[in-house]
Parts: sequence; structure tokens; C-alpha cells
Amino acid sequence: MNRIVFCLFTTVLVALVSLGLVLAAGDPIKVGVVLPLTGEQAKFGEIEKNSFVMGVEEINKSGGINGRPIDLMMEDDTGKPDVGRSAIEKLISQDKVIVVTGGYSSSVTYAVSAAAQQRKIPFLVTTGSADKITEQGWDYVFRIGPPVSEYPKALNSFLAEVVKPKTVAILHENTLFGQSGSKEFAQQCESTGIKVLMKEGYEAGAVDFKPLLIKVKAAKPDFVYMISYIMDAALLMRQSKELNFNPKLFVGGGAGFTLPEFASNAGDAAEYVFSADLWSPTLPYTGAKEYFDNYLKRFNTPTEYHGAQAYSSIYVVADALKRAKELTPEGVREALTATDMMTVFGPVKFVSYEKKKQQNSLPTYLVQWQKGVLETVWPKNVATKPYVFPVSEWSQR
Amino acid sequence: MKRSFGTLLLLAVLLVFPWVLKDAYYQHLMILVLMWVAIGSGWNLISGYTGQVLFGAASFFGIGAYTAALLLHKLEISAWWGLPLGGVAAVLLAFPFGWICFRLRGPYFALATLALNEILRNIATVWESLTEGMVGLLVMQTFVSKIPYYYIALGLAVLSIVLVDVVMKSRWGYYFVSIREDQDAAESLGIDTRYFKMVSLCLSALLIGLAGGLYTNYMGFIDPKVVFSLHDISIMAILVGIVGGVGTVYGPAIGAFIMVAVQEVFRTGGFGLLPALGKTTGWPFMTTLSKYVSEAHVLSFGILVIAVILYLPNGIVGDWSSIRRALIFWRRKAA
Amino acid sequence: MEVFLQTLVAGILKGGLYALIGLGMTLIMGVMGIINLAHGQLMMVAMYVTFVLFHYLGIDPYTSLLISMPSLFLLGVLIQKYLLNPLMKVESILPENQVLMTVGIGMVLTEIARFIFTSNYLSVKTSYSSAAIFVGGISFSVALTIAFIFACTLTGILFWFLIKTDLGRSIRAVSQDGEAAQLMGINAERIKVVTMGIGSALVAAAGTLLLPIYYLFPDIGGPFTRRAFVITILGGLGSTVGAIFGGLTLGLAEAFSSTYMGMEFEDMIGLVIFVLVLLFLPGGLKSLTKV
Repeated sequence: MNRIVFCLFTTVLVALVSLGLVLAAGDPIKVGVVLPLTGEQAKFGEIEKNSFVMGVEEINKSGGINGRPIDLMMEDDTGKPDVGRSAIEKLISQDKVIVVTGGYSSSVTYAVSAAAQQRKIPFLVTTGSADKITEQGWDYVFRIGPPVSEYPKALNSFLAEVVKPKTVAILHENTLFGQSGSKEFAQQCESTGIKVLMKEGYEAGAVDFKPLLIKVKAAKPDFVYMISYIMDAALLMRQSKELNFNPKLFVGGGAGFTLPEFASNAGDAAEYVFSADLWSPTLPYTGAKEYFDNYLKRFNTPTEYHGAQAYSSIYVVADALKRAKELTPEGVREALTATDMMTVFGPVKFVSYEKKKQQNSLPTYLVQWQKGVLETVWPKNVATKPYVFPVSEWSQR
Repeated sequence: MKRSFGTLLLLAVLLVFPWVLKDAYYQHLMILVLMWVAIGSGWNLISGYTGQVLFGAASFFGIGAYTAALLLHKLEISAWWGLPLGGVAAVLLAFPFGWICFRLRGPYFALATLALNEILRNIATVWESLTEGMVGLLVMQTFVSKIPYYYIALGLAVLSIVLVDVVMKSRWGYYFVSIREDQDAAESLGIDTRYFKMVSLCLSALLIGLAGGLYTNYMGFIDPKVVFSLHDISIMAILVGIVGGVGTVYGPAIGAFIMVAVQEVFRTGGFGLLPALGKTTGWPFMTTLSKYVSEAHVLSFGILVIAVILYLPNGIVGDWSSIRRALIFWRRKAA
Repeated sequence: MEVFLQTLVAGILKGGLYALIGLGMTLIMGVMGIINLAHGQLMMVAMYVTFVLFHYLGIDPYTSLLISMPSLFLLGVLIQKYLLNPLMKVESILPENQVLMTVGIGMVLTEIARFIFTSNYLSVKTSYSSAAIFVGGISFSVALTIAFIFACTLTGILFWFLIKTDLGRSIRAVSQDGEAAQLMGINAERIKVVTMGIGSALVAAAGTLLLPIYYLFPDIGGPFTRRAFVITILGGLGSTVGAIFGGLTLGLAEAFSSTYMGMEFEDMIGLVIFVLVLLFLPGGLKSLTKV
């Protein structure tokens, strides 16, 4: 009796699986996506996933790739480089994708791009910002977002024209993003004559930054540059306020400082904090505002630059697929090298400059929190509000 | 007689495996399994057999991994030398550590290994000039195909099992177990417990360090968080050991297979079965179920640990007799 | 000078909170001899309870202490009764099973929290979250100071409890010699269950007090568990006074090493102290006195 049930069960199972496989194969074009869907970075993974999904739906609705729909194969890298490896292996061998995109965390992206290069599958990096990723001379790797060293481009011009500081203290979390970003910024400061008084790393998740901030306060820097994710950023600002630490300005290096959660967690300690930013819905790029509004309407929460990167990535991939002479990895790769289009994230063209290869070069922006709203303040021609500088001391607000 | 036949059969299957199943993804999973067999066996030697529970196995793994990577980056020597040298480096770490910390008993030793693990991770993170910190080290893989890596991993796994088997059948094996059962009694019988604990630890470190060297060469990317990871390496090693069976030769092999399988099955929702079902049937229930399943893989580990400790404290191999009894009971009940 | 004083203050205030975390663990370790590697996760549960109470019912964290402490007491009791006590009877090769069991429990608690609340960072904003008072140019975080005072009070109560009440004395008896205590008619199993409950309640208090100035996510437990056992070993197993000194020492060590060496060493300093104590002062600070 039992044996019969068992056999029936297995047959049904096998039937379902084959049905699934049969239906899934055939018409659609498979595009692989590697994102942190679970784990510590799941929040960003989700914004990017939603943006990818939204983008694909729009592309498919308007005819897909010459009539064929795109099938997004998403794999979870759980925020770990080795799992990212497993993910791309599975996408390449099992799902037989011809192009992969995604990549949020720099370390995971680095490992995944090395794998993509080796297996000769084109990989369009969405976010992973460590400079190294496009400095290896890999011809199968493309990146739409700027490298972390360029995040402070707008900041640098603001500093040079308006603030003219002499000294800086750099604080960063000990991750690939933090360590490489701070190293680059320190070099940029030294080359423009700003003295780096201290550059210190910390383990993310610290409870009390006061000992660190006390030291920074005693060094009296003109401004402080911080590379952190949300919660550390919020704590750093709150504790700076508690210590009544007033440098000329506080600047964040993107990531944690531009998210709405930063303002809600730091409260009034977030006021007047500047940050580098990569994108804003108010920029004059086609579809930027619509993307922002549609995302908000559909997912009930605002999106930000990571989402814009993801949304644009899938459009770039779709464009390359349409132009590809043949739908093979090599064909898609060639099409990608010839990309020249406008997306909600900005113009996309993969160029090689300095050590970098196949990197999209975009301007960045400086934003400032004013009354709980993130306003673009520099360059002047895209500013939504004028910048507030000098900034009043904590006790006088 | 029966046992060696089964073993030979298994070995034969493993040898032809990559030619039969050409899917790189499954080959990748098997390589992971084989690597964990080595780590688990190493862990088992010191923890299962000698009773000194290792909570920070990643210390040796990470040292092995970094040795291989640094040889390439700093000395421009092929990272393949890192495999044997990684094992040696791990032993070089084990030696002073054991010397200093073996005066600690039971749980205190375990905590000391945990402290070592975290200290090494911190050092690797902040000593940027040596290790590039969290930027990590990239090693380009020598072979594109997975097959050479598979055979190297297989070789390592076989080496581990054979080593454990040979050692445990020798006099050393008896000394190790006697230390585990009652260290003071062993000492009073004239066994130099300190010496043998050191031997056991060094052998374990060797195996785990070799696995670390293999990891660098195969995965191609390491950073402190990955190779000195408390959760993903140290605790995983413990799980492999206890689920498979502490103090048994084949326990870690079974444990390795189960743990890697469980992890992938959960992460991919049954190797993509659940999401595929979700897409074809269009039932939102299926998609949410697959999402929950993939997010539940760590939860499943935790539950597995609790269940195994409560009901199968000697692991699957160790408590095989009670499993068999339970199965027979089931079958009889069903018929 | 200001730097030194400010660091001192930061270290002491943080140390008070640490002491509270260590108290729970030292009690558990002293009485049961097991290392509870799920200690930080228990604190996490308490923090989620506090968060829910604040977010949905508007209850201030200081008031919710009255709810979080008893709930964690109950959780600790259940864990001990159904998961840890049975292990005494299970025959296994490895005596470290109990420790491994707590690892499993910790994982399960973390993942369940992640399931319910996702990995998002949550926080509780109260009027005193960022408030600071200035005494002679030195900033004192209001919330941390209150936590410090609470910690001292709770410690005092615990001390009184252990010395003056019957139940307290039974706990100390089991902690000193479990078998002898049983011979004296004490139900050692029940005592262990109660002790686990008390230990959990203490760490719950620490969590509730910490939430206004920090934030919450499922993986928050790990680093605190680590600090807890550093404090426990430093202070000496089962010694309440030891835990206080241990907590203060760790708080000060972390603060001073952050300021004068670099914040990247903050985690390491605790571990280094830990190893040094294990090697050179195995009884902890307790062995230096006769308490």
C-alpha cells in the first residue's frame, strides 16, 4: 500500500517538474540577476529587485526584445561573496542565461565579476562600487554606476569653490566600500591641499562612537567625511550632537546618509548634513520623475539611487539584447560595448579612462538635509534649493 | 568485508561523478561538500575524538586561505603552493596556541578558540598593508573547468578520511579517546596529555588549513569576513561534525553532504523547483512559499542543531543504530 | 584633559550597561556551569518586545521594563525546562552539548525575529534618545546615565535577593556545589530553571534600556554575547560584584582603546582581555577578593 502511494507521489512530482521545465523553456530570453535578497543587505536588494521587476514588466509590455519577453532569473547572494559565486554558477550552467546584471555589495560583486569574466558571460554591474571592479581589464564586465572614488566629485568642487577647508577627518566603516572609498577620498584631499588629520575605521554596529568622536573633536578638523551605512550614520550624527561637536560641515559619502531612514533615525541631528549622492528624481533625465512616482505608487515606499541604477540596468541590457547581432554571450557583450543611451539614471556609455575599463562616467551630486527633506544643492544648475553654509552650531538651533 | 565493498563503490561513484554529471553547478556543490568533509574531519579529530571542542575552526581555515592568497600577491608564487603551505601555516598557528591554551579545560578552551577566531578576523581586517583588509584578495583561477578542482578536493577529502581512520586505529587514537573520556585518569596512567592534545590539534589544523588553501584557489576571492567567519565556517564545521557524528570516521562525510544539501535546497527552494512551480502554476502561494523557504535556511540549521542534540547527540553515524531501530519500527507499523 | 575625562565618562556609563548584561550570564554560568551563547539573542528578543510595545501601544521603554523583564523570565524558564534540562539526561560523547544547544537556540531566535520583523533596522525615538547634559563641559548621555542608575539599582536588588532570601541562598548553594545542595533537599532542577529565568530577565532589562540609544536588528545579539562572556570570565563565575567590575573594566577598556589607539580595535580589546584573563587569572577578579 505504502509503496503504491510512494510511486504515485514521485510520478506526480516528476510530472510537475517536467511541466515546469517545459513551460519555462522556449520563448523568453533569460537574464540573470544577482542580488542580496536575504541577509543584512536585503533592504537594498529589495529596492533593486522591485526596480528590475518594474523595468522588465514595462519592457515586456512594449514588445520585449523583438517580440520575445525577458525572463528575469533572480538569485540570492545573501550578501556573501561565495554564495554569490554559487549564484552565478547556477545562472550560467543551469539557467543558461546569456547576460547577468545586478551586484550590490562590492565584495560580492568583485567575486561575481571575476567568475563572469572567467566563464565569458557579460556582466553589467549595477551598484557594486569598489574601483577595483572595473580596473582589472576585464572585457566582460561593465558598470553603470560610478566607482566609489567618484562619489564625492560634486563635493570636491563645492569644497574648492565655497568652503575652502584646510583640514578633514575621515571616518569609515571597515568594509570594502568604506575602506576603498576612504582611501580614495584621502588621496583626493591630499592632492588638493586639504590635510587629512585622521582617517579611522570602525566595525559597523558599534554602540558608542563617543570615544572616536571625542578624538575627532579634539583634533578640530574643518570638516568631517563619513562613509557609513544607515544606522552607524544616524548614531554618528546623534552622538556628535550630544558631544556638541561643531566642525564647519558634516559630509556623508552616500549610502547610509541619503536614505530616508537616516533622517527618521537621526532626527534633528540630520539637519544640514551634506552627502554625496548619485541621483535624484528631480534631475533632467528622461523618465526620472515618472520612475520615482510609479515606484512610490506601486511599492508604497520611496526609491533612491540604487533603485534607479537597477531600473536603468535592465533597460541597458534590453537595449543591448535588441541590438545584438546574435543572442549569445559574446554577441551581447559586443552590443553592450556600443551602448549609448539615456536612462533614468543618466546617460550610459561605457568608456575607458585612467585605469578603468568599460565604466560609465556620470556626474555626481551634493545633497543636503534641510528640514527633513533631501535637497540637491550642488552643482548650482540642478539644485532644488540653495545650500546652507555656514551651518549654525548645535546649541544655537 | 561488506564495509570495504561499500566504501570502494562510493569511491568509484565519486571518481566518475564529474564525467557523468557535467552540470557545473552540481560539480560546484560537490566540491563544497568535499571541502567540508576535510574541514569536518579535521574538526572531528580534535573535538570529537580528543574532546577539546574547537569553536573557532575558521582560525585555521583563514590562515590557510590567506597564506595561499598572500603567496601570490606578495611573493608572486603560484597560489597552488598555498595549498600545502597553508596547511603548514595553520599548524604553525596551532602550535603556540595549543601550548598556551591547553591548560584550559572544556568550555574554556572552546571559548579561547572562539576568541582566537575573532582576533584573527580583526587583525586581518585592520592590517590593510598586509591583507588589503576588507578589500580582499583576488586570485584568478587556473582552470576554467571545475573538473581539476573536483579531483583535488576529492583527493583532500580522501586524505582526511584516511588520515583520521589510520590515526584513530593507531595507538595515538587510543590516547586521544582516553583524553576525551577522562583527562586526569589518562594523565595518571602516564599518558602525556599535553603532548597528545597538541598532536591532535596540529593534525586538525593541517587538514583545515589545507581546505583553506583549496578555497582560495577555487573560489578566487577571500576577505576577512568570509574566511574567518564565525558563522559560516566555525559554526558550520561544528554542525557538520555533530550532525554527521562526532567521533566517527565517516560522520563528517555524511554531515558535510547533508549540510551543503540543506543549505542549497533551502536557498534555491528545492533547486529552483518551488519558484518554477510558482511561475508555471501562477499561484502566488507558491511564490511566497518559495520566498519563505529560501529565507528559512538559517532557521533550518538552528532547528536541525536543536533536534540533533536532543535526539541524535552522537550524530547520524554515531546514533545510526537508534535511527535504524526507528525506521524498522516505522516500516513495521505501516505494514 | 577634556578628552580623558570624556572618555572616562563614556567608558563608565557604557560599563554600567555591560555589567547588567554580564550579571545575567554570570548567574547562569555560576549556577548551571553552562555557557549561554544565546544570551545576546535573549536581549534581542527583549528589545523587539520593547519595540513592539512602543510602536503599537505607545508605551515608553522605561515602563515596558515591567513587561519585558517578566516575559524574558518566562522565555528563559521555558528554554531551560524543555531544551536544556533534558540534555542532562541525554548520553553523548561530547560534554559541550549544552553550549552547542544554546548556539542552536540563538540561531532559531534570530531567524524567527528576522521572519517576523525582516532584517530592517528599527529604532525607538524618545525625547531623551539624543539628550545630553553637560557637567563642566563633559557631556553625559541622559539615556545612558539613566541606564547606569538602573543597572546599579537592579544589581543592588539582586545582591539583596541572593543574600537575604531563601531562594537566593538556594541559588548560591547550587552554584557552589550542586550535589551537596541536592543532598540538603534543594530541588536543583527547579533552581536552574529559576536562575535561567532571572538571568534572562536581567539581560532583558539591559536590552530595554539600550534600545532608545541604539537600534535593533535580528543579528544584534552576537557581539553582546561575546562581551557578556568576557565580563563573566573577567569578573569570575557566579560573582555579582565581579560582573559589575568586569562590566566597568570592559567599558573603560573599550573607550580608552578607541580614543587612544583607534576604534578599529574596539572589538579586539575585549577578546585580548578575555584570553589574558583565561591564561593568567582564571578565577577572574573574584579570585582576587574573597567575595
